[in-house]
Amino acid sequence: MAAQGLAGRAPRPASAMAQERRRAAAGGRLIEQWRRWAPVVVLIGLCLVIGAFNANFFSTGNLVRLLNSAAIPVVLCMGATFVILMGSIDLSVEGVVALAAVVASLLVANDVTAIAIGHLAIVPALAVGAALGFLNGWLHIRLKTPSFMTTLGMGFVGLGIATAILGGVTVRISDQSFRYLSLGRPLGVPMAVWVAALCVVVALVIQERTRFGRWVYAIGADEVTARQAGVPVERTRILAFVIAGVFAALGGVLAAAQFGQGHALIANGRLFTTIAAVIVGGTALSGGVGSVLNSVIGVFIVVVLANGMVLMGIPPYVQQGAQGLLIIAAVALALDRSKLAVVK
Amino acid sequence: MTITTAAGGIARRSFLKGAAGLGAAGVLGAPFIVRAQDATWTLANSMRSVANPYHATFAKGGEEFAKSIGATYEVLVTEGNSEKGIADIKALLQRTGGKLILNVDPNDSPDARTIVEEVQAAGGFVVTQWNKPDDLHPWDHDPNYVAHMSFDGVPNAEAVANALFAAFGGEGGVVALGGILSNVPAIERKLGLDNAIAATGGKVQLLDFQPADWNEQKAFDITQAWITRFGDEIKGVFAANDGMGLGALEALRQNGLAGTVPVVGIDGIDAAVAAIEAGEFAGTVAWDPFWTGSMGLAIPYAHATGKIDITKEPHEHREFYGTGIVVTKDNVAEYKANPPQTDFNDLWGKATGQIQYRSA
Repeated sequence: MAAQGLAGRAPRPASAMAQERRRAAAGGRLIEQWRRWAPVVVLIGLCLVIGAFNANFFSTGNLVRLLNSAAIPVVLCMGATFVILMGSIDLSVEGVVALAAVVASLLVANDVTAIAIGHLAIVPALAVGAALGFLNGWLHIRLKTPSFMTTLGMGFVGLGIATAILGGVTVRISDQSFRYLSLGRPLGVPMAVWVAALCVVVALVIQERTRFGRWVYAIGADEVTARQAGVPVERTRILAFVIAGVFAALGGVLAAAQFGQGHALIANGRLFTTIAAVIVGGTALSGGVGSVLNSVIGVFIVVVLANGMVLMGIPPYVQQGAQGLLIIAAVALALDRSKLAVVK
Repeated sequence: MTITTAAGGIARRSFLKGAAGLGAAGVLGAPFIVRAQDATWTLANSMRSVANPYHATFAKGGEEFAKSIGATYEVLVTEGNSEKGIADIKALLQRTGGKLILNVDPNDSPDARTIVEEVQAAGGFVVTQWNKPDDLHPWDHDPNYVAHMSFDGVPNAEAVANALFAAFGGEGGVVALGGILSNVPAIERKLGLDNAIAATGGKVQLLDFQPADWNEQKAFDITQAWITRFGDEIKGVFAANDGMGLGALEALRQNGLAGTVPVVGIDGIDAAVAAIEAGEFAGTVAWDPFWTGSMGLAIPYAHATGKIDITKEPHEHREFYGTGIVVTKDNVAEYKANPPQTDFNDLWGKATGQIQYRSA
């Protein structure tokens, strides 16, 4: 995990760079550094506090369980990060996850259909994610509707189709080789964790080593300048939503493998975790600042906190409040407010 | 429907309308309509969504009863939105001129009062399920508010908790997953568990209770944390519904404990029944949503057609509990071989007593 991967790699417009130089000269360099690492510091602090209360927290068993809980959120965040880096948002996560899980579960050996194409089922499931993602991006661009509304609507369409396909039935998956995606344990680590790790590598390569990755930052930092500089804004936007759709669909496949089921409600609660993790990790909703590695840290903050509060025996009512406060605190620590002209 | 216009032109506005229509149709789960013989009354079941097995069967029960009398039948879904639920009912009352028999599972308790008042004003008939304010009674809104039906969470949760204790030998620690804390069924089921634990005289201890908000993913993550915190002190897992129970079961499976640590749930969904057969669940409580879905229409229909006079029926025929079936490994084969039957003419055959108000 290279230091350079974390936060603030946006090629900024000249004015912003000049501003940054001035600030650095004024001695803000240290604070800038601190901000970059704030999410990591929060995560380490959290771990130390929980470990002090319950030594089991650092046991190998619990670390593996934490990785397991983080696997699907990490996959979902990989796609969501690119969209948020552009300054847009993708609220269709639950719809895509549910539809992909339903499609995958109906195509592997199951108790509803006679189809059993095994691991090949992943292909149509991901294709469904790509298609919904493409529609998200295309409608958002062509109709000039805010991504907030477009993706919210598309999420409902995804859930609606999943509901219409199943009509309230739960598909039970009997294909054990498909379930290996979640239950398999190469080297003692759940297969889902390996898949998630691979997703992080892929997302990191996209972010660091492709033109698309740079364009995403450019659009998020300043779309007008990016357009003038020749960045194909429309294509980049659509592609970002397609990538988000594919990652969300993969999350759906993993969820189906994890629960051995497919149903329309399988994704309940996924949207909040995904967006919260990206933001807590230090990627700004305003776009241009952040990284997929920030989102990985963000997921771990959310997962470790949930795990830790049960370990420490904190009453349920307090848990929700603590989660809310943590999100505010993480955003406050990671955000460079001096750069904001207005706060909306 | 605007879908047809969307297919023709690609003008932005009409396309948007089409997309919205398509989205709405998807969300609504496409209300289906049965051809009518009894043209006088329109029948409708209203519920949260048809995406969960309980409500899908509830909707099916209404459909089968409507078919049996040849009446028009519609399904309304609230999608968890009280205002949408009430607005849809008002629209249907308007469209049918008040000739509506409504069987509604209100999204939230206060909704029941508004719905009852709307139906009474229009001259229709209504039966409510599960949720209503304690001081709202059918007999105060004669004859339009026909009845309220529910299932008693306390004794059923107590019975399934006892099945759990029996599965691990009646001694040791359990962990419990609750529903959304403010839901009446969640409160009742927790009370049932508490009663069962108290009755063991200290042999069974509640290690921890966490609300997982009826969500299987949350149940999965909480159960993982419990395995770290309590390890093999956990002898059994109690879940206030099957979905959370299945989430807990998968967390146990990931840690090699499925089948070793028994789980119980409530609702009787197919996956839970299969888990009982596989020896991984120790039990569940099967409600009878087909019965509530059909009887919530059959009783008001009997009154509307003069077969009974609901205002002369005793209170235990106006506010009553249905029968929950506790399914365990001992009776799962029999339960599957003889699923509960519903006789549309036997109006109160499965009622088990008048509803009690514990908070009062």
